[in-house]
Amino acid sequence: MPDAPAIAVHDLHKLYGNNAAVDGVDLVVPRGCFFGFLGPNGAGKSTTIRMLTGLIPPSSGSIELLGMPLPERELEIKRRVGLVPDESLLFDRLTGAEFLEFVGRMYGLARPVAVERAQSLLDLFELRERRKLIAEYSKGMRKRLAMAASLIHHPDLFLMDEPFEGVDAVGARLMKDILLDQVRRGATIFLTSHVLEVVERLCDRVAIIDKGKIVREGSMDELRGGTESLEDVFVRVVGAGREFHELEWLR
Amino acid sequence: MIRAMLRVQWLSMRFSRLASGRGALFSVLIAVLWYGFWTMLAALAEELTAAPQLRQQILNWLPVGLLAVFGYWQLAPLASATMGASLDLRKLLIYPVPRQSLFWVEILLRITTCAELLLLLTGTAIGLVRNPAFGGWRTLERVPLALVLFAAFNLMLAAGLRNLIERLLSRKGIREVLALLLMLMGVLPRLLMATGVSANRIERIFPTASNPIWPWGGAAHFMLGPAAGIAKAAAVLLSWTTAAYLFGRWQFTRSLRYDFQEAQATPASAKDHPFADRLYRLPSLVLPDPLCVIVEKELRSLVRTPRFRLVFVMGFSFGLVVWLPMMLRGRVAHSAVSGNFLVVVSLYALFLLAQVTYGNAFGFDGSAAQLYFLAPVAISRALAGKNIAAAIFIFLEIAAVATACTLLRLGISAGTIAEAFLVAAIAALYLLGVGNLSSVNYPRPMNARRVSAGGGAGRAQGVLFLLYPVALLPVFLAYLARYAFDNQAVFYGVLAFAAALGVAIYWMAMESAVAAARNRRETIQAELSRGEGPMVAE
Repeated sequence: MPDAPAIAVHDLHKLYGNNAAVDGVDLVVPRGCFFGFLGPNGAGKSTTIRMLTGLIPPSSGSIELLGMPLPERELEIKRRVGLVPDESLLFDRLTGAEFLEFVGRMYGLARPVAVERAQSLLDLFELRERRKLIAEYSKGMRKRLAMAASLIHHPDLFLMDEPFEGVDAVGARLMKDILLDQVRRGATIFLTSHVLEVVERLCDRVAIIDKGKIVREGSMDELRGGTESLEDVFVRVVGAGREFHELEWLR
Repeated sequence: MIRAMLRVQWLSMRFSRLASGRGALFSVLIAVLWYGFWTMLAALAEELTAAPQLRQQILNWLPVGLLAVFGYWQLAPLASATMGASLDLRKLLIYPVPRQSLFWVEILLRITTCAELLLLLTGTAIGLVRNPAFGGWRTLERVPLALVLFAAFNLMLAAGLRNLIERLLSRKGIREVLALLLMLMGVLPRLLMATGVSANRIERIFPTASNPIWPWGGAAHFMLGPAAGIAKAAAVLLSWTTAAYLFGRWQFTRSLRYDFQEAQATPASAKDHPFADRLYRLPSLVLPDPLCVIVEKELRSLVRTPRFRLVFVMGFSFGLVVWLPMMLRGRVAHSAVSGNFLVVVSLYALFLLAQVTYGNAFGFDGSAAQLYFLAPVAISRALAGKNIAAAIFIFLEIAAVATACTLLRLGISAGTIAEAFLVAAIAALYLLGVGNLSSVNYPRPMNARRVSAGGGAGRAQGVLFLLYPVALLPVFLAYLARYAFDNQAVFYGVLAFAAALGVAIYWMAMESAVAAARNRRETIQAELSRGEGPMVAE
């Protein structure tokens, strides 16, 4: 279904005991969209992404990715999705090249293709120390490698949880350029980030989740209303003004 | 400050304890059995040391007993690669905690590796104080003090040794050699006796044990006299304890400054190894992707994992040395072990590999195991790939044992080697099935860098330990049939049946494990991503 939205989520719930981490989320992300998914800590962003990737099952509700229902067509969906998770899911005892080749072949690439793409991506992301184990990588290098791994099978949809966290300015710039290029070729990007300036610059649509519910959704211009910055909107919507001045000992 | 550290460790452990009622019950059961056994030994020690008619024997054997306690205290945690709880310094160094406080917490934590010995010493102390042949209650001041000093000496020495050995084991290339040496130290007396050194010559060492210049001799003399030597024995024991304190502090301080990451870093001059790479790629000759890439990944990762390499080395060397004395004795009197030496060692190696391969297949992957749930690959492929990699290592292990046996000229024939491979392969079918179930029902993260077992390993290891004899039953029945009928055809007939049954059981276990992985995927990911408190229990 080429016309179906990249992500269509209906009445999604995730309960932990009596606690609703995600509470009735409805979301439609059109194809070719750079979508920002924002929320304060613990709002339900990572839980939503984990449900979209099939890592955890929803308590109720439906998920369709690229026009295919999850979990019924799980394997087909996974083949077309690239993921950069919040924690780096890397095998520490492999080198960067070995890991990328592993991921490529897990996504069905032939070995020579996986090896070649792995090498190109390592060069692109400046991870050229061939013999270095991932265990010895810095946090930023791990993130860059995770980003490279998400690209190797040329997916149609990217799910990215804090992809720029811990990455230096040069690496972040490179990653942003690559992502914008992916959107230009028609891929969809679903991104969470706490760096609102980045979201403001990259994304064309945004949803804000708080306490498991979507509290705002729309295009960037709709949300900002022409006068406010994204940060102002975000702070206003999720509630700010915590009165630290009341803490006498902190002054 | 110390209380805060202990409390946060307690709170960190609380979640995992409450998470599984069955697990908690099993842990309690094992603890009751283990400490019940040692309490019985302590009661026996109390009974013997309280008997006035055994005065002379107590005088002769108490230093030897204390030497044995010393040996067990220092060597058992190393030999079993379970080093008890210790401080995770990386998490605590950021706080303004005086190093002296950290050191004392470390010392207190050593108690987790020796609670059974404290029970034994307490039983001995009560018996000695009650024994009228040594002055009865008049010894109340000396006996407990001597044993407290002896315990403190052991505690601080063990702490120092742990730090020293952990640093040595973190160095590439040294750890396997060191493990081999430690293991040889433990079994050397038995090996010497079995290879012809008479028991008398070994027993002649014991009189020197009672020399008061040694900590165990000093402790015994301090407790039991004679009166003229008590002050000297007390001074000797105090000196040993002070030396152990200084050693423990020194090693602790060195470990604080030690950079484990630097010791394990790949040198900048490291070169590619095309031959090794070709070996890793051998599975691609027979296996398709994604099975092949999972096997390749496992082979590469495990070979680079210190914990795995240590267990692999122990698998053939420890098994060989433990069972070798029986084999050598069997040359005189034929026994079941000597007749099937290679099979016994292979099955032992198979069991030992469980903890680092098939018993907890996702352990070294940790949170990265989520990739298997994210990739467009059925989880059964991941388990099968990991099983194939484990089987490759199992066969390499047997090949290493067979090579060692050939070099030692133990008279192992090609037929025996083939039989060992066959029997191990059939036993592996059952054990891999059990391992797959254990991997999805009791997953736990393992730290690849640490050479001792990761926290929480005990329960799953206990389950495997209990199931191991059951899993070997079909193979055992084949040997029983051969013994009863004295017929090779019957033996191979039963083995063939065991193999067919093994395939069916492996298949059913795999189905069950896949269903469990699907239903428990959240729990599996949570367990494998679980962090630890400021201390790690090993």
